[in-house]
Amino acid sequence: MTMSEGLAGEIVRRNNVKVVGKGLQPMMFAHGFGCDQNMWRFVAPAFEDAYRVVLFDYVGAGRSDLSAYDPNRYSTLQGYAQDVLDIVATLDLRDVIFVGHSVSSMIGILAANREPDRFADLILVGPSPRYIDDPPDYVGGFGRADIEGMLDAMDRNYIGWVNTLAPVIMKNEDRPALTQELETSFCSTDPKIARQFAQATFFADNRADLAAVRVPSLVLQCFDDAIAPTTVGEYVARNIPTSTLRYMKATGHCPHMSHPDETIQAIKEYLDGGRDH
Amino acid sequence: MAATIDALSELLETAPCGFLTVSDDGTILIVNRTLSDLLGFPPDELTGRSVQSILTPGNRVFYQTHFFPLLKLHGRADEIFLTLRRKDGGDLPVLVNAVRHERDGSMVADCILMRIHRRKLFEDAILEAKRTAEEANAGKEKFLSVMSHDLRTPLQAVTGYASLLLDGFHGDLSEEQREDVTEIKNAARQVARMIDDILDFARIERGAVRIEMQSVSIQEALTRAEAMVRFRMEESGLLYSREDCTFALAARADPDRLQQVLLNLLTNAVKFTKPGGRIRAICEADDQSVHLRVADTGVGIPEEKLAHIFEPFVQVEPDQRGVGLGLSISRELTLAMGGELTVQSVAGVGSMFTVTLRRA
Repeated sequence: MTMSEGLAGEIVRRNNVKVVGKGLQPMMFAHGFGCDQNMWRFVAPAFEDAYRVVLFDYVGAGRSDLSAYDPNRYSTLQGYAQDVLDIVATLDLRDVIFVGHSVSSMIGILAANREPDRFADLILVGPSPRYIDDPPDYVGGFGRADIEGMLDAMDRNYIGWVNTLAPVIMKNEDRPALTQELETSFCSTDPKIARQFAQATFFADNRADLAAVRVPSLVLQCFDDAIAPTTVGEYVARNIPTSTLRYMKATGHCPHMSHPDETIQAIKEYLDGGRDH
Repeated sequence: MAATIDALSELLETAPCGFLTVSDDGTILIVNRTLSDLLGFPPDELTGRSVQSILTPGNRVFYQTHFFPLLKLHGRADEIFLTLRRKDGGDLPVLVNAVRHERDGSMVADCILMRIHRRKLFEDAILEAKRTAEEANAGKEKFLSVMSHDLRTPLQAVTGYASLLLDGFHGDLSEEQREDVTEIKNAARQVARMIDDILDFARIERGAVRIEMQSVSIQEALTRAEAMVRFRMEESGLLYSREDCTFALAARADPDRLQQVLLNLLTNAVKFTKPGGRIRAICEADDQSVHLRVADTGVGIPEEKLAHIFEPFVQVEPDQRGVGLGLSISRELTLAMGGELTVQSVAGVGSMFTVTLRRA
């Protein structure tokens, strides 16, 4: 094994990277907060004929290598953007179509702003550059107390884990016996990491990064999305110079799970020439 | 039969728990009277609304990021804590069980909701205690870090100036003076090591230890650790041997942390083995793992202490040269590297500590 193969193997294992599909152009699907690459399983297969589909888990999520979690690195979204860039560099991906759900929209933007030449398109599903209101001009939809309420819900639903499962998982890299238990639970496997990801996500302010985007971008905006309201999606589209905004009939925040067909169609139409820029 | 159906619908409407059916896109399709009463809505007003409208803002996020993905990916959700929002703006904490299935051609989630007012108060108390404990712990860490810095600086002065004296910087020392200054220097180093142990332990407790896993040659790690105890071994007249630790044998570990663990085990072996005794480092491997054993012919560990030997601040015998954290730190570091540290010992005969790591 050469050194570079070894390093590539490390990243692939660390981020549980899966590559499938018959096409050449890479299409990278990035999961949002609270879940893992599984959330794309209703959408990603539709692109396997035409693209090289790349799926992964951020460090700390799904079946990533939890021992690679570094609280400093992942204290901001830049650490997650580095995961994306590590994978892109490791697999030497070019002309990447990056599909990011929710917070991964911003992570994709950060990655693309750092290495724009690697990316062909950004598909932003339910993006929000800032969840917390910033009066008088910006309405993100939430107050700080609301986010604290969400963290509280996480604490309450993970409390059993903190004391029982989590320490075991942290020590067991392959987690064989626990897989089944985890499958019946949330996709975010470690409560401490999930909490830090939540903080990195919901206390982030990436508004200033939007104007720097040079990669053509599609904003997919759901109807009645409680997490990323329409005004926020419109704000994103207005501030990214190279964006196309598409409203969906789908309601909620997870159209790739609740309305996969419409999501697939929207992405295909955009990639097949529906770009405004 | 008709009476039974009536009774059943009556039960569903008024049973002391909420029944709720929600479509995939979050529309409330069915809600029973108990739940609409609890929420303060007239019975018909809830159907057709978004489920988001009966959740607190924070729980809307939780619903979208956790609850719905769980339902969609696994088909069910058990014992999920949610805080609902009543019509009057008040909170309604509930425990939810939900199952997602097909009905009349579309996918719906049937949920039962149990109000958990009193249990929530207990949980509040537990969570509050947990947060207070976490804050206290963080405060302790800060205190330790400041204190250790403040202690370390004068200690460095003590060892530094002692070295100057020993090096004859201010003229020759008499034999007695030399012995006394050496004692001063050794004692200062001892205190510095204790401070390092305490700090390391605090970092481990906080989960702030950085572990950089790589392939590490066992022989190399052992050689580096041995170099730091060889003098003391010779001084104490101990026989040391190394068995089957070939250069090619490698484990997945953090090289510095592995060295720290090995140094601790060897130092302990030296400390607890009488002059003329024997210390052996033995390497064994199978397909999956590398076992590195440090065996001594020392005082051994009494049976009643064996189970507690890896706990912090536990010492085999009261010892002023340490604080009883070495083994605890070593075990935590080994665990953090995905391995384990175990012990076998017979009082009066000797001890054998085994570090097991994943083979590289």
